Amino acid sequence: MFNVASPLINGLKITLQHLFKKPVTLQYPTERPIIGPRFRGLHALNRFHDRSKCVACYLCPTVCPAKCITVEAAEDPVTHEKYASRYDIDILRCIFCGYCVEACPVDAVKMTETFELANYKREDFAYTQEMLTDKK
Amino acid sequence: MVNLTIDDKQVTVAKDATIYDAAKSAGIKIPILCHDKKLHPFGGCRMCLVEVEQMKGRLIPACTTPVTEGMIIRTSNVEIIKARKLVLELLLLKHPVDCPVCDAAGDCDLQNLTYEYGVSKNPLQDEKFKWEIDYINPLIERDMNRCVHCGKCARICDEIVSFGAYSFINRGIDAKMGTAFDGPLDCEFCGSCVSVCPVGALLSRPFKFKARWWAMQKVKSVCSYCGTGCQLTLGVKDNKVLTTIYDENQGFHNGQLCTRGRWGYQFVNSEKRLTTPLIRKGNVLVEATWDEALALVTTKLREAKGGVAALATPRLTNEELYLFKKFITEGVGSQSIDHSAGYAHEALTSAAFKGLGEASSPSVIGDIQKSDLLLVVKTDAYETHPVIGFEINLGVKRQGVNLRLISDKKGKLSRLPGAQTLVHLPGSEVFLFNTLANIIVTEKLADEAAVTVAGYDALVKSLAVYTVEKGALLTGLSAEEITTLAREYASAKKALILLPLGLAYPGHNAPLAQSLLNLAILTGKIGKEGSGILFMAEKNNSQGAVDMGIVPGPGGKNGADIINGCASGEIKALYIAGENPVVSYPDRKRIEAALDKVGFLVVQDLFLTETAAKAHVVLPACSFAEKEGTFTSVGRNVQKVTRAIKPVGSSRSDFEIFNKLYAEFTGNPPYATPQSVFGEIADSVPGYGGLTWSKLGSDGFIRPVSNTLRFVPVEAAVTVSQPGKFALLTGSALNHSGTLSQYGEGPMMVCPEGYVEFGRDDVKKLGLLEGDKVVVTSAAGSVTLLAKLGKRLTTGVLFAPYHFGANSINTVASGDPVTWVSVAKAK
Repeated sequence: MFNVASPLINGLKITLQHLFKKPVTLQYPTERPIIGPRFRGLHALNRFHDRSKCVACYLCPTVCPAKCITVEAAEDPVTHEKYASRYDIDILRCIFCGYCVEACPVDAVKMTETFELANYKREDFAYTQEMLTDKK
Repeated sequence: MVNLTIDDKQVTVAKDATIYDAAKSAGIKIPILCHDKKLHPFGGCRMCLVEVEQMKGRLIPACTTPVTEGMIIRTSNVEIIKARKLVLELLLLKHPVDCPVCDAAGDCDLQNLTYEYGVSKNPLQDEKFKWEIDYINPLIERDMNRCVHCGKCARICDEIVSFGAYSFINRGIDAKMGTAFDGPLDCEFCGSCVSVCPVGALLSRPFKFKARWWAMQKVKSVCSYCGTGCQLTLGVKDNKVLTTIYDENQGFHNGQLCTRGRWGYQFVNSEKRLTTPLIRKGNVLVEATWDEALALVTTKLREAKGGVAALATPRLTNEELYLFKKFITEGVGSQSIDHSAGYAHEALTSAAFKGLGEASSPSVIGDIQKSDLLLVVKTDAYETHPVIGFEINLGVKRQGVNLRLISDKKGKLSRLPGAQTLVHLPGSEVFLFNTLANIIVTEKLADEAAVTVAGYDALVKSLAVYTVEKGALLTGLSAEEITTLAREYASAKKALILLPLGLAYPGHNAPLAQSLLNLAILTGKIGKEGSGILFMAEKNNSQGAVDMGIVPGPGGKNGADIINGCASGEIKALYIAGENPVVSYPDRKRIEAALDKVGFLVVQDLFLTETAAKAHVVLPACSFAEKEGTFTSVGRNVQKVTRAIKPVGSSRSDFEIFNKLYAEFTGNPPYATPQSVFGEIADSVPGYGGLTWSKLGSDGFIRPVSNTLRFVPVEAAVTVSQPGKFALLTGSALNHSGTLSQYGEGPMMVCPEGYVEFGRDDVKKLGLLEGDKVVVTSAAGSVTLLAKLGKRLTTGVLFAPYHFGANSINTVASGDPVTWVSVAKAK
């Protein structure tokens, strides 16, 4: 009899203790979480003058294990510089490993604190360069 | 042979080998930047430093040091690695290290070695170069800031291409790879320099930023332009052929390509490609399904029974040509089938067949460098088959081969060391060669065995009229020149004749080839290594088309008669597979009128060509990159073509189309694959016996010949010059091949439109400037073209390339060896 009651009492003891502790549940969305400094959220492209810093070196699509990045390079007709004419991330495929950031030789791609990525339509998960580039 | 020890391994190599070669043969890798197996050793980069026991105290460059008996070599130790690292640090000191935006990244020797040797930081510091980048020419981008001064570009341009576009200029730290007067690059744009550049200093502009090297699939295939049969590596990504990739281990040419092979690949994914079948409804061609189009073709060909003819392009694979022949002869029941207008293959089908017993060249491309004397008929051999031109360059410059050019104009080959060009009057070739043969007979220089060859007496009898005096008069050469040439040719131990063929060379027909064969047989040159005659057929599979019997059968019409039959209404339906007669056959107006008259015209092509625009049904076919099969090159090399991409749009390979029609018309089951047709070819086509798909391997297989020699006397038709008129010679431009290269961006960037070339004196006489427009008029028609000023033509001789659909020179050209034209400045 005693053997049966003892775990039950122990359990209730823990429950009782928690009644007097600060709750861990976050009242999201009214309450916001504190995001760690190395959090890997939605990507963003750093800006350099009028376009993103990306030079279309293709290292991120090469290293990406989920194959979610599509880059296309183009040549600036005046300066002959290489830039990304297309930089798309299919966020549904992304596994947020951060390899793209690690691979980037020009510090163009970074990961932000944005984690609220839910959407209604599949198309809305395809992020284009325009959506990803930092606003001026 | 020399014995030596490399890294404790016993190695035996030839005595002219270098340490680098010896190590390579033993499978030991020595890093290099400035060395290339095709070029003379340079010893510029010092990456290949090794330690030799007998020469201790300093490190020895492996690429320039010949081996000696008993050498003990170390290719890697602490000191060597330190020295190599220093070399890399010194190179990286000036190198911009802009790998993220450099197209060479991934295929860059400097990058790979830096990674391999772990050079992650540089103790040295200096400013980078600030050279201006050459963006002016359309094909090659020159960024001398990235240059590592290996000198490979200058060396390949000198040694193999023999153009000499580059040289080191300036001294010390200011030294750089420069062009003439440090101006923009203006050369023949073969791109050999781009292919050997170890870094990204020289890059392909059409491919710029298109893809990363590692992201491309590399597919080995065979070039589909000229008949040389160069092997290619195609860079493929996302079902698109993006570039050609250099592979120094490919083919007899060691990966060396010409301007059109390297830059002319864009036709494969051209936006102009046909993607659906088209059927004529009234005056317009409307899109249709394959079922509709093929049903219409079937009905109409059946209706026209007895009046069907076919023309095929020798760009198709052997399997397709074989199947086409079967479909036309067995299925449709017509013997009127031909290619290349009926005359461009005559040298093989008529002359070689009569004189040698087999319609192919007795010699192979490898004979060029093994010969003692090359007799090249027309300097155009370089323009029609540029990579064979490189072989001639190498033969002359490296092997000391004597070069004699018999031509109606000078050309690039005329500038080779020791080359002699005999510039004769246009159209007098046959007379000249008959004269040479006559001299050989009268001076008793002929080979002893020649007397026993069938037809000897008849030949000697026929040659009597070709006296030196008359020859000198008719050819415009001096009697001495002719006699010397005859003696040189007859006395040379090994002598090889090269004759380019093609639609633009109506004079290179059966009589000319026959006179050359008589000459070669007379001097006993056939059947020996480095000797004989090489007919350089124009298209990638011209030899294959001849082998597969794309020539009229018994009672059938040849190319010229098919066109005449169309005009007379005798031919009711014409099936054209890939040919573009409107542009490429002489006398365009007549061809157009003939094709307009045909009751039913089917054209199967990649593009809506000028000919396809006249068709009742247009069937979209596939390019070489989309199909499997074999091509037979000049010199009889049977090589495999690999499928690199999926068919564009709903286009089908010629094989698939013919297979369907063949099954429909004959009631036989269709063939399963091109390989099964190849099996049948091996069983039935002479020379292909015993060949299997796997036997072809990566280098192909040179199919054998068996020659039965015979003299066939030929009469020289005398070309009478017309006073006050110019002799117009048509030919091939270096950047183009047939009419296909018009759809490649690269060739069109350098040579976008037709022109007519004038000699120096005529320019003065007519008061012309480069780029002036001139009207060229002949009895056949008239055309307005750009004038180009050349130095290679003699007075009264004009040259024009034939490739272009717009302002095509074939409007003027009559199809005779020489067309007489009058020229006026356009108003």
